[in-house]
Amino acid sequence: MKYIKYLLGALVFTAVFSCNKKLDVLPQNNVTSIQNGDDVKALLFGGYSLMQSASAFGEQYIFISDLLASDNQLDFVGTFTDYKDISFKQQTKESGIATTIWENSYLLIENMNIVLDKISLVDESEQKEVAAEAKFMRGVAYYELINYFAKPYSAGNTSSTDGVPLVLQPTYNYDSTKNKPSRASVEDVYNQIISDLTDAAKDLPGFADNARATSYSAEAFLARVYLNKGDYTNAATAANDVIQSGNYNLTSTFNQAFNNPSNSTEDIFGIQNTAQSNAGTTDNGIVTFYRYAYDADGNNQGGRGDAQVDQNYFNAFDDPNDFRANFFTQGYSISGNPGIYTLKWLTFYRVVPVVRLAEMYLTRGEANLRKGGAPIGGVTPEEDINTVRERAGASDLSDVTGSDFVDERFRELGFEGDRLWTLKRLKLDVGDYAFDAPELVLPIPQREIDVNSNLTQNEGY
Amino acid sequence: MRFKFSFLIVLLISVLHVFAQQTKTVTGKVTDAKTGEALPGVTIKAGNSNILTQTTADGNFSINIPSATPTLIFSFVGYADAEVAVTGTAMDVKLTTSEKSLNEVVVVGYGQAVKRDITGSISKITTKDVRDFPAPSFESAIQNKAPGVVVESGSGKLGQGIKIRIRGTSSISANSQPLYVVDGLPVTSTTLSDPTNDPTDPLVDINPNDIESVEILKDASASAIYGARAANGVVLITTKKGHNNQKTVFELDANTGISNPARLRHFLNAQQYVDFYNQAVKSDAEYDIANDLSGFNSLNQAINYYNKKIYAVYGLTLDQLANGTDWKNNKVNTNWQSLLYNHDAPSNQINLSATGGDDKTRFFVSGFYNTQDAIVINNKFYRYGGRLNLEHNPTEKLSIGINISVDRSQLNRVTTDNAFSTPGQLVAQPPITPLYDPETGELNSNTLYPNGLFDAKYNSDKQVTNRTIGNVYANYTLLPSLAFRSEFGADILNLYQEAFQGKQTTDGAGIGKANTIISQATTYNTNNYFTYTPNLGEKNKLSAVVGMSYLQNDSKQSLTNAEQTPSDKIKNLSGTTSITFATSTDDRYNFLSYFLRANYAFNDKYLFSASIRDDGSSRFGPNNRYGLFPSVSGGWILSDENFLKNSKFVNFLKIRASWGLTGNAEIGNFSYFNLYNVSNYPDLPGYIPSQLPNPDLKWEKTAQTDAGIDFGFLNSRITGEFDVYYKKTSDLLLNINVPSTTGYTILTKNLGNMNNKGFEAGITSTNIDSKNFKWTTTFNAAYNKNKVLNIGGQIIEGGFGLTQRAVEGEPIGEFYGQKFLGVDPQTGDAQYLGEDGKPTTDYDAAARVVLGNSNPTWTGGLTNTFSYKGFDLSFFFSFVTGNKIYNAAGIYQSTGFWNGFDNETTDMLNSWKKPGDITNIPRIGFWSGSGYQNSSRFLYNGDYIRLKTASIGYTLPNALIKKMHFTSVRVYVSGYNLITITKYPGDPEVNTETIANIGGGQDFYTIPQARTFTFGLNVRF
Repeated sequence: MKYIKYLLGALVFTAVFSCNKKLDVLPQNNVTSIQNGDDVKALLFGGYSLMQSASAFGEQYIFISDLLASDNQLDFVGTFTDYKDISFKQQTKESGIATTIWENSYLLIENMNIVLDKISLVDESEQKEVAAEAKFMRGVAYYELINYFAKPYSAGNTSSTDGVPLVLQPTYNYDSTKNKPSRASVEDVYNQIISDLTDAAKDLPGFADNARATSYSAEAFLARVYLNKGDYTNAATAANDVIQSGNYNLTSTFNQAFNNPSNSTEDIFGIQNTAQSNAGTTDNGIVTFYRYAYDADGNNQGGRGDAQVDQNYFNAFDDPNDFRANFFTQGYSISGNPGIYTLKWLTFYRVVPVVRLAEMYLTRGEANLRKGGAPIGGVTPEEDINTVRERAGASDLSDVTGSDFVDERFRELGFEGDRLWTLKRLKLDVGDYAFDAPELVLPIPQREIDVNSNLTQNEGY
Repeated sequence: MRFKFSFLIVLLISVLHVFAQQTKTVTGKVTDAKTGEALPGVTIKAGNSNILTQTTADGNFSINIPSATPTLIFSFVGYADAEVAVTGTAMDVKLTTSEKSLNEVVVVGYGQAVKRDITGSISKITTKDVRDFPAPSFESAIQNKAPGVVVESGSGKLGQGIKIRIRGTSSISANSQPLYVVDGLPVTSTTLSDPTNDPTDPLVDINPNDIESVEILKDASASAIYGARAANGVVLITTKKGHNNQKTVFELDANTGISNPARLRHFLNAQQYVDFYNQAVKSDAEYDIANDLSGFNSLNQAINYYNKKIYAVYGLTLDQLANGTDWKNNKVNTNWQSLLYNHDAPSNQINLSATGGDDKTRFFVSGFYNTQDAIVINNKFYRYGGRLNLEHNPTEKLSIGINISVDRSQLNRVTTDNAFSTPGQLVAQPPITPLYDPETGELNSNTLYPNGLFDAKYNSDKQVTNRTIGNVYANYTLLPSLAFRSEFGADILNLYQEAFQGKQTTDGAGIGKANTIISQATTYNTNNYFTYTPNLGEKNKLSAVVGMSYLQNDSKQSLTNAEQTPSDKIKNLSGTTSITFATSTDDRYNFLSYFLRANYAFNDKYLFSASIRDDGSSRFGPNNRYGLFPSVSGGWILSDENFLKNSKFVNFLKIRASWGLTGNAEIGNFSYFNLYNVSNYPDLPGYIPSQLPNPDLKWEKTAQTDAGIDFGFLNSRITGEFDVYYKKTSDLLLNINVPSTTGYTILTKNLGNMNNKGFEAGITSTNIDSKNFKWTTTFNAAYNKNKVLNIGGQIIEGGFGLTQRAVEGEPIGEFYGQKFLGVDPQTGDAQYLGEDGKPTTDYDAAARVVLGNSNPTWTGGLTNTFSYKGFDLSFFFSFVTGNKIYNAAGIYQSTGFWNGFDNETTDMLNSWKKPGDITNIPRIGFWSGSGYQNSSRFLYNGDYIRLKTASIGYTLPNALIKKMHFTSVRVYVSGYNLITITKYPGDPEVNTETIANIGGGQDFYTIPQARTFTFGLNVRF
């Protein structure tokens, strides 16, 4: 019987370690639930990171539309096949780029849907502004989605043309029967975008710290949306609101509008980047593609230099003194191809201008011209276009036409992701392709159709 | 608290009192099984206790033991331990030098067993197989030595992760590497290194020369005692221990070696390159004319046009590639391939150990130092450290001990295969490009691709690991039949990695970059268990183990990336001026486990075994916190039955069968949680949702059935075993695609199943055993067939150049793509299998089909060992068959300049040139080339037979060394990877995907295996 005490001792020793609670280990590198107002605001700020992503304004929202646009703007000389395919309009339904734009945009939407769903956790005094900021980002995400994944509004039949799925509620737990939305019509998506951006314009402040969205950021996007719809009165009104706010001024010289460490005076909305927070410097990020890999002397410059300016782009200029025609340099791509590089995207870790005031002048002028009648804002289309030209050192135009605005946008906004949408909304040919050619619309990602039988594929894929 | 196991323990206690304690004296004689000579000084230990005695000069012994003592354990230096059941009061025991003895002691989970009684499938590898091997970690040394254990070291780079698959791949997305247990302590075996480079192998910190044996638990009967972590098999590593009453033996083991690449591809030299270039331009011109594309009048006109077009598009001419040197007269002929290798890369190893013991204390101490240069430049491995294994008996009932090793290793690394900066990609540079800039005399920076030699010169990547693996234990014999053992162990791994990329280099991007990684992984583990071995009389033998185990792992890592260096002089963060990224992470997981195993033998002929483990883990969702993993097995020793007892041929025959469940818990630490990541927009820190919750998440489950035969013929001249098995893994951890309109792309779920079935054989035969000459042959072979049964209809892709997939109905890792059907002799076009089953020259119209698998079906090895007087000679051939290797670099190096100016492989010289040419190499050309895309054109049969090891040794005659006071002196020369027979044009043992489940057999400028010669000396004194 004397062994019993040893046995019991061993047993006790054994039992000490047998505590179940040890198995409850919480992640130390992630948050597991949204519990208070600060958490909700953190989710809101997460939205800015998603907009900074290479799949959004950090690169693809801007760069991919220029690759899809006519090839008299830029040439892709790199080896990444996904990008090569887009520049040849040969993207497949498995396109990695279509997939990442889609996924990142819907993640941004989910993020904002959680914010809007949990808005009651936020201090009451802040609720309206937080919700408005969330709607701004959701509206922007839907705007980019409808541009890339559906036929343009100008193609008509908007109530019967497939847009993108409208998801307005968060997904906390996946339900395979519920979470498979079908595509809403182009019209419905536009209505949602306008509703979100209008709410945002109403409740956002006119000024904001840290380059956050303001009511004018929302109005600037509204101007784009209305212009796409051909709703020139509303487009001119929105652009005019931004211009007349007095919050923004064209930089005194054209080059000052780019490569700034913080928003320039003409940035209505810009994505901030730092050495610590950016869309990438080796395989991703707009500067990575536009910055030369080697300068003319062969020094390593750290970019890939895959995006080179097409010689034909220089035909767009009508005045040799136009500063914008000289805003270029020579260099080599990472695979050794010599070429010309725009200086708009020269420097890593600088602001990505998303909407500049110059665009608002061109939008107001064009919208006033196209709608006819008394110009909104009391400024003539000539005055608006020449405001932009004068800053660049180009001579004034008179008797401007709609196509002057198309060309001016190309000169002023080249490589900033405007060209494709301008041609599409005006039903102009995009190189050899008609404005509504299926090749100019990205495929609904195949993986998405594989998991959601309610989705239909775009024409041509 | 979990009461069920505590209850079992109490039950056990109450049983104990049935047996009163009496003592008896057992006497006998110990002899050498072969010569029959008496063995003096053999230690005899009574079962679990510390009651000891030794044989006298005439081999006799007498030991007074409790009559309940079930077995006596006989151990003697140079002989295999033998555990013999106590059946009466007299016993004669034969010890053998061969580890294949039936009384051989085999380490099993939480205990040990006699080989004869084992009903599971366990492969044992002993010290002589793993020692002195010219690779940092022991896994390379066991390649193809144990049937069913497939070891792939995917390149000649040192310190890389080594892929081990025991009886096939049994997971798709979870880690499929086995569990490694060192002296009872599960150790960290997954990489903690730079996540942007290939995984490294933390097992390099176990000195192979300290290893006494490696037991590989293959079937569920053997491994289910490790429950939720056993589905990939378990590798038990036991380090060397001292023996009682043993004169202290010092052993010095030193060797030195040189290594060179085992197999190289062949690339064009300067003359061939220029000719091939001209031929490519001519091919373009001829194609143009033949197809009337541009309406040229003459061939020369067309050639001129295409020469100019190359410059217009690529901006490059041969003049530029030659940096102005006279390429027309072969002024420069740079062999870029030779620049990426160290020639006669040196390696040195020194091990010094001492083993000994008196009647109360046993010890093993060792110290080691080794340095090894890889065959590839800038890749080195250094290691030094020591070990102490000490055990002491304060009383006859209690023993306490410690096994501890400390070690520091340093690995200097090169970048992953898919980087311009990696030395392997130097082969892409044209041979007409000079190594040194003709103007400046400096290293040439004006090369076709970024010159990786700059990276080799200015970059560095060093990781230093300090590691302590140790455990302390106490063993108390409560009753002759009952012992309690408590172990507490820790594995403390600290890794510091410092990488620097100079301004001049591609990776340094003109600004200079540095990064550091500090990792700390601490595992602590305690095992507490009772071993119960009652003496139930002659006919019944029972042994049982019951206990618990708790393991906790804490892994912390801190990563910092910085850039902007004023110069290349300071090669760490202090030389940088802008931090671009810094983070630290903290992860924990734990397992709380209870286990029970009982082995019962009736009449020494009918064997039964059952085990069960209950595993709880922090990794499992709240709805599935604990998993039960049972196993049952049985064996029948036919040779003890009357109908075989008198057979002259069969001296041992056992059939056995087992079934059991095991789990794979390598599913991630926090996979079941709803997670939000932290995002870092400037001045606006935030969250982004990252993972959908799944509270049902649990381990992957593998049910395995095994049947086997163990045999010994002709008085064990021929021994061996055969096994067949069927493994079915279900509840596979899969990332199920969900519509990303939810904001998420995947949901991690347990879904689907796959199976592995196979056959294994191992045979050892002593062919000749005369006084002076001995010849033994060991052969093993294994066949495994994997099949993915159900993964919810998904197709999961992996691989590198050519897609590999996991898809239902096919084995995992199946190559999938366009099937190359050869070259049309009329046009030189590559032909592919079309959708309609007919050949097509249109790549886009080609069907994508299954093309083969990267995993071998058959693997095995053959060893022949000869000894004549003092000489010993051995040859080890290793083979694999049934697998394919894809040369993912083929689309750059074998496409006739389609993809640019890369240097080409010499086989391209046989390309199609004119109608009627019969060749397998399509038409070349910058524009009109054909067959340049990924397809089975670059997929090769991966079968090989390799003379892995050949060694010759000479043991100096005793008469000579006795005078020098040595016990033994042996000198040896060994060669590794000396002969390779394969159809693959490169080295067949390459895999740029290292340890991936789906991807494998992909060669992308991968460094071949080393051919090594070592010269060594082993002295005992």
